[in-house]
Amino acid sequence: MLKVDAVSKHFGGLIALSEVSLDLRPGEIHGLIGPNGSGKTTLLNMISGYYPVDAGTIRLDDHVLNDDRVPERALRGIARTFQKPRLLGPLSVLDNAMLGGWRDAQAGFLATAFLLPSVWRDERELRVRARELLIGVGLAHALDRSANLLEHAEQRFLEIARGLMLRPRFLLLDEPAGGLTPTEIEHLGTVITTLRDAGIGILLVEHHTDFVFRICNRVTALDLGRLVRHGTPEEVRNDPEVIRVYLGG
Amino acid sequence: MTDRSHILRPVALLAGVAFLVLLPFLVRDQYQLHLAQLIGVYWILIAGLNLVVGYSGQLSVGHVGLLAVGAYAFAILTGRYDVSPVLALGASGALGGLCGLVLGLPSLRLPGFYFAMVTLAFAVIINEQSVAQTELTGGGVGLPAQGFSAPFASPQGFYWLVLGISALVTWLTWNVAHKMWGRAIIAVRDSEVAARSVGISVYRAKLIVFVFSGVTAGIAGALFASLQTYITPDTFVFELGLFFFTCIIIGGRGSILGPFIGTVVLTALPEVVAPLAKLGNFFYGLLLLIVVLLIPEGFGRLLTQAMTRLKPQAAESKVVAPDPARLKAALGTRAGNG
Repeated sequence: MLKVDAVSKHFGGLIALSEVSLDLRPGEIHGLIGPNGSGKTTLLNMISGYYPVDAGTIRLDDHVLNDDRVPERALRGIARTFQKPRLLGPLSVLDNAMLGGWRDAQAGFLATAFLLPSVWRDERELRVRARELLIGVGLAHALDRSANLLEHAEQRFLEIARGLMLRPRFLLLDEPAGGLTPTEIEHLGTVITTLRDAGIGILLVEHHTDFVFRICNRVTALDLGRLVRHGTPEEVRNDPEVIRVYLGG
Repeated sequence: MTDRSHILRPVALLAGVAFLVLLPFLVRDQYQLHLAQLIGVYWILIAGLNLVVGYSGQLSVGHVGLLAVGAYAFAILTGRYDVSPVLALGASGALGGLCGLVLGLPSLRLPGFYFAMVTLAFAVIINEQSVAQTELTGGGVGLPAQGFSAPFASPQGFYWLVLGISALVTWLTWNVAHKMWGRAIIAVRDSEVAARSVGISVYRAKLIVFVFSGVTAGIAGALFASLQTYITPDTFVFELGLFFFTCIIIGGRGSILGPFIGTVVLTALPEVVAPLAKLGNFFYGLLLLIVVLLIPEGFGRLLTQAMTRLKPQAAESKVVAPDPARLKAALGTRAGNG
């Protein structure tokens, strides 16, 4: 279980998060909603390690993550995507996904330079897995295309595939539905629920509240860095405070 | 589109290798062979530097300092201590790698511009020291450097030695660039954020590649000293470091063939076309300006773009259509790793 316990963050005088707690469980989709500036992405960045924690703890099972750096957390099985997709433009879709297999590529620099047998094995295994994942998320048509030729939606699905190449226990999605058409959001929902059923714990930061309430098992609502409500989609949707600060009357 | 390129590629490679091996019999005079040797020596350094500049995106302009370290180490070891040239060549490489480590450790954490400044400072310091440490380096007068013994003593033999090492270094960098390490360092260049998100320790990756480039620079330095037979501080001026850097930028980042062509053209052109030699650094500056302004991706990218243009393009679908069953199966292979 990934447990965020009373975590706070301030940037100078600005309080971005104030004692927010939530937990991610395997096989569960946890929605994180709130108005702009409510601290959703800040929290995601703290879980994945891009921002240090000012107060509180983040735990993965019994391990305190606070002092682990970003790569260490990734290697522990916490993958993420970005609001603005971060892809390697000149490389193919397949290569971009394979990058996520860095942890499983055992060959060091010299072994790679001298092309030892382990390098071939790594490459072959990772290529097969990346292919299958890409086809699974719906990019079968674009495997060899340069990433900089991809449409916006394709970029978002590629980032998910790259994250999945880490064989993550938890996947943090930062506004994955942003800029997607209704059909594409439908496809995104299919992918996310499939991941959930495979036992991955998912944090879904999202503005499309209908989408969130539809697919999430639990939802946390933030406002101005504070936790407003936590509960089932039903409970959060009908909470008067959540309606007042975010959903609107 | 696949079959033809599958045949064409090995054929082109084979023809290229045959040409390079037979080059000593094709040149008109010794000077042309000397030029080919010089290109080979430069390329050994630039191939390693290419992983730093072209792939990892770390703008080192100071590798001339590492070249000087290798060259002086070779001249001193062979000239003063009678170490065999082949052994001294290895020692120069090792020393180059060590200097790369010492230079990279503090500087590779710095943002790009400051890193470039540190490498510049390093090149200047090495150059100043090679003048000041008269006892060791011969000061401004310089040092003679030994040639290799047979079978590398003749110009042809030395050319084949350089060719062999160039081929080895090219092969090594090719492997690095086209496997997982290549993806990793391209990620370091294009998006450190993405690199870290998949578990890459950015600093460590940069450092390892930088040390490798130090080794190749040291080896290039040793061969350079042997080729020139005499080295002085005037040889290792900052402009030479800028020249290496320019070869890569003009050739194109993220390519190996591009910077190789860049090295050949930039080394040979001023020698072959006399009027260009008069222009000196102005010529390099002008070429750099043209490339950066008109084709910032370099000639290498221009080449690959032309090649993909030639391939027939199927009508491209843009529709993302997930296959949940396939996805589920692909995720299933995660079993056994907790």
